[in-house]
Formats: sequence, structure tokens, C-alpha cells
Amino acid sequence: MSYARGTIAALVDAVVPGTPGAEGVQADGALDIDLDETVETAFNELQEAPEGPVRSLGYETMPFAPVLALLLDIGALELVLRREREESLRSPKDAYAGGPFSRLGPEDRMRAVRLLEADGLFPALDERYPDVPFGIVAYLMQGAMFITAMAAYSDWGDDTERPQGWRQADYPGPAEGYAVHMGYEVEEFVENDYGGGDGAEEDDTDDGATAMAADGGDDSDPEAWFDDRSRSADEAGDAEGGADR
Amino acid sequence: MSGPDADTREPDVVVVGAGGDAPALAWRLGQQGIDVLMLEAGPFHGNERFPNPHAERGEGASRSPADLSGDLLDEQFTAREGDMGSPVDGKLRWGPADADRAPWARTVPQTGVISQVAGVGGTTLHYYGNHPRAFVPAINDQPHWPLDYGDLVPYYQYLEDVHPVKPAPTTPKAELFYEGARRAGYDLTTGLNVEEEGYRPFPNAILQPDEALQGEYDGDFRDLSGDTLAAHEHQGGPHPRGADFERRAKRGSLVSLVPKALDTGHVEIRPNAFATQVLTRAGPGPLEACGVEYRDTWTGRARRVFADVVVLSAGCIETPRLWLNSGLPDDGWVGRGLTTHHFDFVSGRFDADTLEEIIGQRAVEPHQGQAAGSRLDVPGAGGIAVNTFAPGITAASMYSESVNGFAFENDTSGEPWDTEGRVVGQQLKDEMSDYRRTLTLICHTDDRPRQDNGVSLDPSTEDEHGPIARLDWSPHPEDDERRLDLARRSARLLEEAGAEHIHRSAAAPIFLHMQSSMAIGKVLDTGGEALSADRLFVADHSALANGVGGANPTHTGQALALRTAEHLADRYFDGVADPIPADPTPASADD
Ligand SMILES: Cc1cc2nc3c(=O)[nH]c(=O)nc-3n(C[C@H](O)[C@H](O)[C@H](O)COP(=O)(O)OP(=O)(O)OC[C@H]3O[C@@H](n4cnc5c(N)ncnc54)[C@H](O)[C@@H]3O)c2cc1C
Repeated sequence: MSYARGTIAALVDAVVPGTPGAEGVQADGALDIDLDETVETAFNELQEAPEGPVRSLGYETMPFAPVLALLLDIGALELVLRREREESLRSPKDAYAGGPFSRLGPEDRMRAVRLLEADGLFPALDERYPDVPFGIVAYLMQGAMFITAMAAYSDWGDDTERPQGWRQADYPGPAEGYAVHMGYEVEEFVENDYGGGDGAEEDDTDDGATAMAADGGDDSDPEAWFDDRSRSADEAGDAEGGADR
Repeated sequence: MSGPDADTREPDVVVVGAGGDAPALAWRLGQQGIDVLMLEAGPFHGNERFPNPHAERGEGASRSPADLSGDLLDEQFTAREGDMGSPVDGKLRWGPADADRAPWARTVPQTGVISQVAGVGGTTLHYYGNHPRAFVPAINDQPHWPLDYGDLVPYYQYLEDVHPVKPAPTTPKAELFYEGARRAGYDLTTGLNVEEEGYRPFPNAILQPDEALQGEYDGDFRDLSGDTLAAHEHQGGPHPRGADFERRAKRGSLVSLVPKALDTGHVEIRPNAFATQVLTRAGPGPLEACGVEYRDTWTGRARRVFADVVVLSAGCIETPRLWLNSGLPDDGWVGRGLTTHHFDFVSGRFDADTLEEIIGQRAVEPHQGQAAGSRLDVPGAGGIAVNTFAPGITAASMYSESVNGFAFENDTSGEPWDTEGRVVGQQLKDEMSDYRRTLTLICHTDDRPRQDNGVSLDPSTEDEHGPIARLDWSPHPEDDERRLDLARRSARLLEEAGAEHIHRSAAAPIFLHMQSSMAIGKVLDTGGEALSADRLFVADHSALANGVGGANPTHTGQALALRTAEHLADRYFDGVADPIPADPTPASADD
């Protein structure tokens, strides 16, 4: 297990932990579906490496996963130094790396993320040196949280028919449709007056806004256009112009 | 001439982007017999000239509706969330068609998430088909628009006929929302022109569902016409499967406007073509656009195409990027004034007995029915809508992005929600295990344009298309207040509907509805043409003058694109044979 993978494991395990007490599929967590690998891969494929030093080291894409891991450790260190830790330090799980982030309790790991995006050193640097885009750290943190959650509850990184997250949400997977049509709360919208108007009716033609009828007659029928397609393009174009001009 | 080869073909108009709005303009120009070439950076799905769009380049361009294939769409659009929607390697992403490559980069030096799609149809490949008109006061009373609301109405009506746009059907989750809205004291709105508070079904560009879905139905949904209520809008929504390409229910630009544009016989679409420069020459007056340089995203080959008129429709981020990378003039508003609807999410979890009582079933079933079929309008503050997703997007948008820390440390006493902020750990597992009993609402804030917010270039980061775009956006305290108002109303509505647990995300910026970064009245004249260059138009959401009040923007974006097409035809071609408004307002170049 690499440093990047192991540190990301400590992140995804805090977001979607295994909960052995729970029943059935609800007991499983992010590590049961190797979400650390999915997130690591996603981060390493976020952005192509520009021509220059990174590419000359042999990278085709930016190695953002190790960057993410490093940032998480910096956030963890900051949390410790600020004495804002609320859980005891612990020895890392097997799947984790050995850095400070991996040694925090799960809620403290989230507090470290918060420092990185909102309350800590990087946001303060961002305020102080607006010319340097330190805010990118916040963007990467938001990205890590978003990707973790989306991948944990979808087929991202898991192309089996019904991935774990869908089962945990009791989502059956893509469907062809559902017979849940209950009619209409409004049958047709009306072309109502506006602007504290003069009480003009819908067919009042001296107001540009209401010059057209609410409903273009046959044109409002979706079939009308489909039927037009059998005509020549030019004719169809004219027909689209509407009946009442 | 040195540099890249010039295309031998010289269209009358070259359009950069074939996304949400551009096909409306191209169709309208094509109707006038004006030859249009659309350059689209991303892939062309469901097209026989590009049968394997994420694995190989395919042919160069498509100009016939006969190329469109419903079968290919069925094959490519799997309706699986990650396969379609992963922003890193999904089929609908901001990146090259080639699946082996990484997405294209942006610099975002702040918390936030961008959701945009490259490909024919653009971000409407993801969209939910919501097509409300702008709120009337957002156009007529806010100071941003140099047009009247009435100028847009005929174009709205035209689109409402052709997509078509119709009231969304009631489904159980919609009925739950309506009941909450009624109990909270809101009236039903039935008018298209909205000035007052009220709830209503969404005017949606989704073909209304087959009547067969009102009763017991046990078919395979292939025999139906119209929406099948499968809720796969986000994943590209190919339903009903087996139907002809242009009869797919969700009227994203790919299936609704693109076939019509191709049908004119005057529109050609070239996917995998990323525009990198607007070409100009000194004209009699100011600068004049005369073409575009673009790069083939598979071969890397650069080419130039010359045309009488250039239209930029690359969306709110890439249109200003291209402008700035082309060295076009900037008086301080290029890329600026971006609005984003400053989203928030509020969800309610219901117990089975309550649901049984109100909607006659023991779950909300967010995955059934249209993704977004009902709404509450609050002109002045914005709008609230039912927004339901498959579980992955639910977990990501509802529970994992917030400007307000983590729910486990937030005190919510005195607030109308039980939890606020990001949800993680056991709490997240609990929320997600109740997915089917949860109703999620989105708040679209009427945030106002400000010059500090928007797009600039990041000179320190280049990709193969030049310096990339940098995005900076933060809410004004008044935008925050409006958002809070909407969040509170959402909570109240859910509470009235009987929710047992209410959660507010206090969302981090989500750049998904984007408007007004190249606004008419600021960068463009009222005909959509650049104030600082001739023969150069913008027709995408960046041209909107503000966030249209918080109504979903695409109806207005497409309406304005139709109008811009007519002004373009008037100014540089033989005019419009059949103007959409009975009495068109002359556009002026000196606003
Ligand atoms: C999940 C989701 C749901 C949504 N639901 C709704 C909804 O229900 N209703 C609504 O109104 N809005 C909705 N939206 C927003 C809506 O999709 C967008 O506002 C709309 O598509 C914007 O249209 P546009 O033409 O400005 O840009 P886009 O649709 O983004 O099109 C821009 C196009 O230009 C191309 N392009 C960019 N740069 C270049 C270049 N240099 N060269 C060539 N091509 C280029 C892009 O690839 C893209 O295809 C939703 C968005 C998302 C993500």
C-alpha cells in the first residue's frame, strides 16, 4: 500500500466507515469496495500534466493523489499543533498509511479537512496572498469529499450490476420507467398578464407580450413537428414560424 | 498564409460550441438559408459517423439528420450514474471525447464544484429539462437588462411549441411537495409569466408521459411514447429506449434542437473541434471577426475556418476564456458578472406512516418520476424545486459539500432543520439507508451580477488550448440572505408535509447554472453582438444580463439565442423571412 493510497484510505473510511454492528449490506464501508483505490485513481486522472517538469518526470497526468495525501497530513499536523484534536491519537488500521492524518480519530480527520478548506493555514494564506491561488487546496478538499461520496454510492469504480452503495440505498439501479403518473396539477399553463397590466385579455393584440395566443394551436402538439419532418426542409422551417403570423 | 491550414469550405457563420443554446441559433439561421458550421469541443453521441465516440475519432463532421441514431444512443447512454456522470471519467464530462485522457482543467482557487459537459447538446446532456421563463421582475425591474421581458415572450412561446414545454405530471413525490406547499399557505400558480409567490408543476421540456403509466402497467416501456418517468435525466435520459432519436422524452438540445438544425440542410456540426482563437482583421469601423482557429482533439491538428460572422457559444467559462486568449478587447466586464444561483439543498426524511397518509405509499421513491417536476417560485429571492437523483449524486450534492463544516459539530438549535453541513460516518450511512424515504429540494437563489465574480485567465497554467480559465465566485451577503430565506421556506414546506428529520447542506458553490459572464448591456449590444468588435456575437448563457431571478436559465438562454440569430441575419445577411415576434424590437448597437 502506497503512502497516497493509505492516507486516502483513512479519508474514505471516515466518510463511509464499516459498521460491523449493522445488518447485512449496511455493515460494509468504503474499504470493503476499495474506494481508496477509486479515489486515488480519480485524483491521479484529474488533470493532464502540462509540458514541463512534471511531464519530464514521466507523468502524463498530474499526480494529485500524493498531493492530496500530503495535504491531509498537513491538515492533521495543524489540528494537532492547534490543540483542536478532540479524539485520542490511535495506531493506524492496516489499510492506512503511517502519517498524522492516518493516526487521527475519524471526526478529527474531518476537522483536519475543515482546517484545510476553511479555518486553517491555507485559507489564511489565501486571504493574505491573493496572488497565489492557495484556494486550490480548498477546491481539492471539496473534490475529495464529493468524489468519495459519489463513488461510495454509485457504480463509479464498480461496474457490477448493483454496486454496494446502491444496495445500501435500496436503489434498484437504472430502470426503463415507472408507472407513477397521477395526472396533472395544472393541465395547461396560461399566458397571463403581468406588470400590473391594464387587465388586457390573453388575446389582446396591442401588447407585444401577449400578442400571441397562449397556445400555438396545432403547433403545440409535439406530433406536429415530427410530422413536419417528412416535408422538405424549407417548408418545415416555415411551418415552425407558427400559424398566426 | 503561414500557420495552420485553412478549411476550403467557408461557411457564412461559424459557431463555437454546439451546447445548450447554440443549436437554437443555428436552427434559426439554417431556416433562413444561412450556412452554419458548428465547432464542438466534445463528442457527438448517437451519431453513426461517430459510432464509438469515446474510443475513436470517427469521421469529421455531420450534416444530415440521417446520421442520428436512437440505437446508438441506447448503447451509449447506459443510465448508470458513474458510467455517464463521473466528472473524471464519465461519458458526460468537461473533457475530450477520448476516454483515455483526463478531463480539461480549470483553476478554481476556492471551495466549489463545476458541472459542465462537453459534447453536442453541451450541459443539457445532464440537465433536467426544466424550462420556466425568467421571473418578470428580474428582467423588468432589476437594473441589468437592456431588453423588456415582453421582447423575450414571443421566443419563449416559440420554444414552448417546438420542444415542447408542458406542465410536468404529478407523481407521488410531487404530490408530497404540493401538499407541503399548500399546508404552508402557498397558492397554485397557473400563469407562465411569474411575478408572485406560488407553487406549480415545472414547465418542463420533457414529453408528457404516456397515459398507460397512470394505471397498472407491466410492459417493457418500449411501446410507449413520451416520458417513462425513469428519472434518468442526469444520466442523459435516453428514454424511451427504442424510440427514434428525436422522440426521446427529455428535450435536451441533442435530441430536440440539433435534429431540427440539421434538417434545414444548412447546418454542419463538427465535434472534437476545440476553438483556440477568434481570428480578426481591422474593419472599416472597429475590429472585425473573420474566423476561428481550432484544434482537432484526437489528432492535435490545428485548422482555420473563415466566415462572415463568428458566434461564441462555448458557455459561461469558455466563451470568455476564448475571448481573452484571442486578445480581444476587455473593458472590465469580459468574463465578469457571473451569476450561479448560489444553490442550497434541504432534504426531509419521512416515516412510512406519514407517507401512507399523504401519498398512499410508504416511501417517497425519489428515483421514480421526473428528476425535477415541481417547484415553488419566490420572485425576489429565487426558487425552490424538488431535485431528486440516484444515490451517488444524492450523497455527493446533498451530504458532501457545504460551506458550513460538518453536521456532527454544528449546533442547529433555533433553526428549522435538525442537521446542517456535511454528513459523514454513521450519520451519512443512516441518511443514505433512508434514501427512498427522503425528499430532496434545491434552492436556486436570485444572486446578482457583480464585477468581482467571474472568469479570468490563469497565465500560470496552460493546456493544449492555451492558458486555462480561472473561476472566482463568492456570494454577496444579500445573496446569502436570499438563500437563507429559501432554505427556511424549504424546511417549512418539508415540515408541513410531515418530515421527521430535516437537513440543510448550506452548499458550497456549485457551478452548474451559470449566467451573465458576457452580459448584453455590458459586453454585448442588445442584438447579441460584441460592443468592441463587429461580426462577433455571443449566444449562450453568458449573454444573459443576470440570473433571470433564479429561474432555471436555459429557456431564457435559448430564447435569447433565437433572437440573436434574427438580429445577426438582419445585420449581415438578407434578414429574416418570418420574424418570430409579430413586431420585432430593433436592436441597438449603442447601449
Ligand atoms: C445536472 C444538471 C442539471 C441541470 N438542469 C437544468 C434544467 O433543468 N434547466 C435549466 O435551465 N438548466 C439546467 N442546467 C443548466 C444547463 O444545462 C446549462 O445552463 C446550459 O446547458 C448552458 O447552456 P450554454 O449553451 O450556455 O452552455 P453549454 O450547454 O455548457 O454548452 C457549451 C458548449 O460549448 C462547447 N465548448 C466549450 N468551449 C469550446 C471551445 N473552445 N471550442 C468548441 N466548443 C467549445 C462545450 O463543449 C459545450 O458543448 C443543469 C445543469 C446540470 C449540470
